[in-house]
Amino acid sequence: MKSRAKKIVFFGILFLGATWTFFSQQEVVITIKEGMAAIPLALPDFTTRSSSPALKEAAAEIRQVLGNDLKYTRIFQLLPEAHYSYIRPLNPEKIFFKDWESIQAQILFAGEVSESEGGAVLFEGKLFDVKSERFIVGKRYQSEKKLLRLVAHKMADEIMKVYGERPLFNSKIAFISNRDGNDELYMMDYDGANQTRITFNKVTDYMPAWSPDSKKIVYTSYRKGNADLYLLSLYEGNISAIATQGTNFSASFSPDGKKLAFCSTMDGPAEIYVANADGTNIKRLTFNKAIDTAPTWSPTSREIAFTSDRGGSPQIYIMDAEGSNVRRVSFGGDYHDAPAWSPTGDRIAYVSRVDQIFDIYVLNLRTNQITKLTESNARNESPCWSPDGRHIAFSSNLSGTIQIYAVDYDGANLRCLTSKGDNKLPDWSN
Amino acid sequence: MLMPVCGNKTLGGSMKKLIIITLACLLAFMFLISCKGKVKEVPPPPQAKEQPKIEKVEEAPAVEEPMLSEEEIFMRKSLEQINKEQPLAMIHFDYDKYFIREDAKPVLETDATWLKKFAMVKVLIEGHCDERGTEEYNLALGERRARSTFDYLSSLGISPERMKTISYGKSQPLAVGHDETSWQQNRRAQFTIIEK
Repeated sequence: MKSRAKKIVFFGILFLGATWTFFSQQEVVITIKEGMAAIPLALPDFTTRSSSPALKEAAAEIRQVLGNDLKYTRIFQLLPEAHYSYIRPLNPEKIFFKDWESIQAQILFAGEVSESEGGAVLFEGKLFDVKSERFIVGKRYQSEKKLLRLVAHKMADEIMKVYGERPLFNSKIAFISNRDGNDELYMMDYDGANQTRITFNKVTDYMPAWSPDSKKIVYTSYRKGNADLYLLSLYEGNISAIATQGTNFSASFSPDGKKLAFCSTMDGPAEIYVANADGTNIKRLTFNKAIDTAPTWSPTSREIAFTSDRGGSPQIYIMDAEGSNVRRVSFGGDYHDAPAWSPTGDRIAYVSRVDQIFDIYVLNLRTNQITKLTESNARNESPCWSPDGRHIAFSSNLSGTIQIYAVDYDGANLRCLTSKGDNKLPDWSN
Repeated sequence: MLMPVCGNKTLGGSMKKLIIITLACLLAFMFLISCKGKVKEVPPPPQAKEQPKIEKVEEAPAVEEPMLSEEEIFMRKSLEQINKEQPLAMIHFDYDKYFIREDAKPVLETDATWLKKFAMVKVLIEGHCDERGTEEYNLALGERRARSTFDYLSSLGISPERMKTISYGKSQPLAVGHDETSWQQNRRAQFTIIEK
C-alpha cells in the first residue's frame, strides 16, 4: 500500500513537473511595476545588406525613431553610443551575448535593413534577452521609403506588447492651429511629426475630440455663423452636423464608443447633453442655471467628470452617465476647469487658476493626492491623456506663443511638439 | 455897354434919369444872369450798337432727387456697409462676470432706440471674453454675456425674434495686449446686423 501511494505521488510530481516546464516555455511576458529601474537596452546601428547611402539613411532613420519611442516609455534606458565601440560590431547571424553582457545591456535589439527589387525597404528587427540569450520577439516589415517612421513605430508597439503595455506609438494628436490664418483642425503623430491640416475654410474650427476607434473627429465649427457640432469621418471625408441649436462645444466620446457627451446652450445656460455616437437621441443631463461644461468620461464609460459653477465658481464634479449622483471632487481654489479622466481610471487631470496663472494638476481619485504638473509662470490649459495614461499633452504660452507640449504623468520630460502659429486644444487618440 | 451920348451938351435932368435907370436895369440884368449858374453842355445822344444774336444754352436744371427718408437710405446699403459703420455700440463686462454694468445700460438704451427705428433689422449678439479663462469656460461665459445683453434689450422692448446670440469665447480678441486695458476691451458683447 505504501509503495503504491509513493508511486502515485512520484508520478503525480513528475506529471506536474512536466506540465510546469511545458507552460514555462510559452510566450515571454514581463511585467512592469512602478518604481522599477529602467532596463538597459542595447540598440546598435542596424546592419544593411548593401552599402548604398540611401539604405544607410533609411536604417539610421528607423533606428532613431525607434530609439526615441523606446526612451519615451521610460521602461528602457538606451546605452550610450560610446559603449558600442568597446565590443565587436553586431553580427546578426551569430550574436556573442557575452559581449553585450559586458557592456551592461540586459536587452538587445538587432535590426537589419535591406532593399527589395521594387525599391521598397525591408526591415527585420529582433529583440533578445542578453543573460539568457533568448529570443523574445521579432518582426519583418516592408514599406515605401516615406513610411519609415511608421515602421519604427510599429516595431516599438510590438516590443511594448511583450511588456504588457498598451501600444502608443501610432497614436495621433488632433489640435487647433491658426498657422494658415484662422483656427483650423490639424493632426500630428504623438511625437509631433507629420503635422497635417484637416479643415479648410475661413471660419473658426474648435475643440476636436477623437472617437475611440480613431476614425472620426467630433468638433465645433462656426461655418454656418453659429457654433455647431460636427462629426468628421477622416477616411471617408464626410461631415455631418450633430447639434446646431445654440452654442455647442466640448464634445467627448465615451471610451466604449457608444455615446457622445457635449456641452450646449440649446435650452439656455450651458448644460451637458449625451447622445448616441452618431448624434441621434440627444438627452439632457444637467438641469440648473449654472454653467455645466467640459464633460470627460471615465474609462468604464459609466461616469462623467465635468466643470460646473453651480457652487459659485467653476469646480470639477463627477456624476453617473445618466446624470445622477453628482459630487464635487475639486477643492482648495476658486477656478478649476477642463477635467480629463485618465485611461487608467484613477486620475483626473485639470486646470486650476491661481492669481492669473493656470497650471495643470492631477488628482489621484484613490488617494486624493494632488500633483502639480506644470510650474511655469504661464497659462497652461486643455490637458489630455495618452492612451496608456502615462503622458499628458496640453497647451501652454510659456514660450510667448501658444504651443502644444507633452509631459510625463509625474511632470518629467517636458517636450514641445509644435512651433508654427498658435496651437491649442489638443486631443490624444487611442 | 454903349452909353447913349448926346453931343457935347450937358445932360439934362431927364436924360440923367434915363441913364441911371438904364444902368440899373443893366446891372440887375447882369446880376440875374450870373446867379443862374453854369449852363450844362448836353452831350450828343449815343449811337445804338448792333449786338449779334447768340442763344446761350444752359444745362437743364438737374432733376432734384427727392429727399430720401433715413429708412430708405438705410435699405439701399448692403449688410457689409451697414456693419462697417457699426451703428450699434458694444458694451463691456467685469472680469468673470456677465451682468450688465451701470455704464453699459445707456449704451444699450441707445442701441435699442436705433433698433426700434430700423424695425426690420435682425441682429446677432456676440459674447466675447479675455484670454485669462480656459477655452471651455470662456465659451460658456461668452454665451452668458450675449444672453444678458439679449435679455436687457428684450426688457427695453426689442422683440426676441429679432435677436440671436453666439459666443466666441476668447478666440476673437479685439486687443492683443496682455494688460487690463486690452482685457477690458475684449470682455464685450458686440452686434452684427444679419438681416434687414
